[in-house]
Amino acid sequence: MVLRSARQGTVAPALDDAVSGSSSVVSPQHPGTSAPMKLAEAMRLARMPFPDGAAVTRTFLACGFTPLHLQTFLLAHLRLVAPETNVTVDSGLYGDVVGNVDAAAGGGYEAVAVVVEWADLDPRLGLRAVGGWRIADVADALESARLRGADLVAAVRRMAPGRSVAVCLPTLPLAPVSHSPGWQGGDVELRLRTLVSDLAVLLADDVGVRVVSPSRLDAASPPGDRLDVRGEVHAGFPYRLPHAAVLADLLARLLASPTPKKGLITDLDDTLWRGLVGEVGPAGLSWDLDHGTHVHALYQQMLAALADTGVLLAVATRNDPMMVEPALKCADLLVPPDVFFPIEVHWGAKSDSVRRILQTWNVAADSVVFVDDSPMDVAEVAAAHPGIDGVVFPTNDEDAAFALLSWLRDQFGKDRVSVTDGLRLESLRQSVSLGRDAAASGGTTDEFLARLGAELVVARVRDTADTRPYDLVNKTNQFNLNGRRWSEAAWHGYVDTPNSIVLVAEYRDRYGPLGKIGVLGGRRDGRTFRLHTWVMSCRAFSRRIEHGCLAALFIDLRCDEVVFDYAATARNGPFRDFMTSLLGTEPFPGCRLTRGRFDEICPPLFHVRKDVADA
Amino acid sequence: MPDLSERLASCFAAVFPDLAAEDIATASVESVDGWDSLAAVTLLALVEEEFDTEFPLNVVADLSSFDHFRTLLQGTREFVGGPP
Repeated sequence: MVLRSARQGTVAPALDDAVSGSSSVVSPQHPGTSAPMKLAEAMRLARMPFPDGAAVTRTFLACGFTPLHLQTFLLAHLRLVAPETNVTVDSGLYGDVVGNVDAAAGGGYEAVAVVVEWADLDPRLGLRAVGGWRIADVADALESARLRGADLVAAVRRMAPGRSVAVCLPTLPLAPVSHSPGWQGGDVELRLRTLVSDLAVLLADDVGVRVVSPSRLDAASPPGDRLDVRGEVHAGFPYRLPHAAVLADLLARLLASPTPKKGLITDLDDTLWRGLVGEVGPAGLSWDLDHGTHVHALYQQMLAALADTGVLLAVATRNDPMMVEPALKCADLLVPPDVFFPIEVHWGAKSDSVRRILQTWNVAADSVVFVDDSPMDVAEVAAAHPGIDGVVFPTNDEDAAFALLSWLRDQFGKDRVSVTDGLRLESLRQSVSLGRDAAASGGTTDEFLARLGAELVVARVRDTADTRPYDLVNKTNQFNLNGRRWSEAAWHGYVDTPNSIVLVAEYRDRYGPLGKIGVLGGRRDGRTFRLHTWVMSCRAFSRRIEHGCLAALFIDLRCDEVVFDYAATARNGPFRDFMTSLLGTEPFPGCRLTRGRFDEICPPLFHVRKDVADA
Repeated sequence: MPDLSERLASCFAAVFPDLAAEDIATASVESVDGWDSLAAVTLLALVEEEFDTEFPLNVVADLSSFDHFRTLLQGTREFVGGPP
């Protein structure tokens, strides 16, 4: 077991630690309380050899200053957040951030970081130009900045489609261009800050790129410690090293967009609420200002918000079920009790509860956070479930509780919430009901599945604006042909290639919709289909949807043979088992399945398949 | 803890990875092929970071060899009373 700090703010774990996935008891910290990466460490990381066969991700740093150490830090942090990727970082010309954004658009880059400083909006706002700080000059600079900002947004809008793009707007203190004293928010500064805020909203909401959070940057890099006047004047590099390190860290996270955690398991007593329900009863519990137990209300509020974004929530508590049930039904609980599934209430070990919850969710431990006020229970769960992040709830420490809430948002945060996120909990309940009903029906599996009224839609992906297929191929581990991860640019390019066929499977039955749960991508050569990628959500197991997908290839697309670009991974055992059941032997790279063999081995399918013909 | 020369040598090794360890102590602008303006700025930043110091502007232009760096750092250490 490893005791380490949360990967948040400026925390920069060593590469080995980042890829080890070891079990951990995590101590969430306030953003900015950890030391930024040193330049020497960045240079070491940047020079480390890439893994054999690593996919190449070409990144461009578009800025108007000399990129120098920011480029080194960006490469180093990209190595940390995407250790399996061969990352390169190129940069453009001095003094032309808009031109550099255009250059990135034409350079075939998959990821682009755009860093804008005041001088990029108008050189008079920086230190290297002496165009004048007289009142008329500054008024003109304001107008010029407005126009330059519009140019920048237009350039990013042209460049962004099909790429991962992160933008950082001015981070440095303004030069003393205003006639008002520095402690007064003068007209010039307030107007410039409004301009930058408007640009940020346009870029994030309208253009759809990711913007560095100013508040996180402020927390991790004090604004007064950012500007290096000597570096700016003599080398054209305006950042002190710690600021460059922090900024690169945030940009790398935005560009790589790490996969969020999927589920949170919480204790109840002194965690979800204050008090031991078995001792004080439901009426004696509290989570409010009057009792000094407000941190639990904030925690409940956070859980409700996470549930809204599709995060799975479960309860593991050592308690009397008769006491817990009414407590969870308290009308003023800020998190609806029906978002918790499953709820494990007994007097046994918490690790047993967690094991059953993970089985029900069909989610790996390293996608889950466990929160409990008992350090011993957290340690026991972390030891029994390698990879899980165990966190001690800081019952009597408001500051630490706030750090925990921020940390939870980081672990589960996603930049967009899809319709399928909202279906996740319900489809899990359906899966459990399905299994229970199947067991209770007493009939055969075939009879049970026949009564489901299942509808499987396997449709060709033509619109890359639908992000669900991309999310699925990059987040699914267990039913995954080869574990290949795609950059946004590579995925868009693949979908748009004329001879690629990318299919998305959507499923519903009498228990309700599962949404889009599978993606297949490949190319047809005559009557052979070569499958490059195939993933299916674990929520869709046990319905023969995987067989239905193959039927779509063999029957609807009239293929005689499917060739699989299979690769074993540490986690795609369920896919391997499925293939073994089809082939009669373990799969291998390039293994083939003929239509004849499929017809011979495929169990009865009861789905109504739709929408495949147009593929 | 490594002494000043060893720490300085590690900075040179980071900026000039092709430089043989035995050549670092005699490294200079003239003897090292890759010692251009970019390398000079990187080396300066790295040494300042390693020794938690900031060199005065009037001496930065003179930092053209390992020996110059070492001499300047020794002077700085003596000035602030730190170990050599």
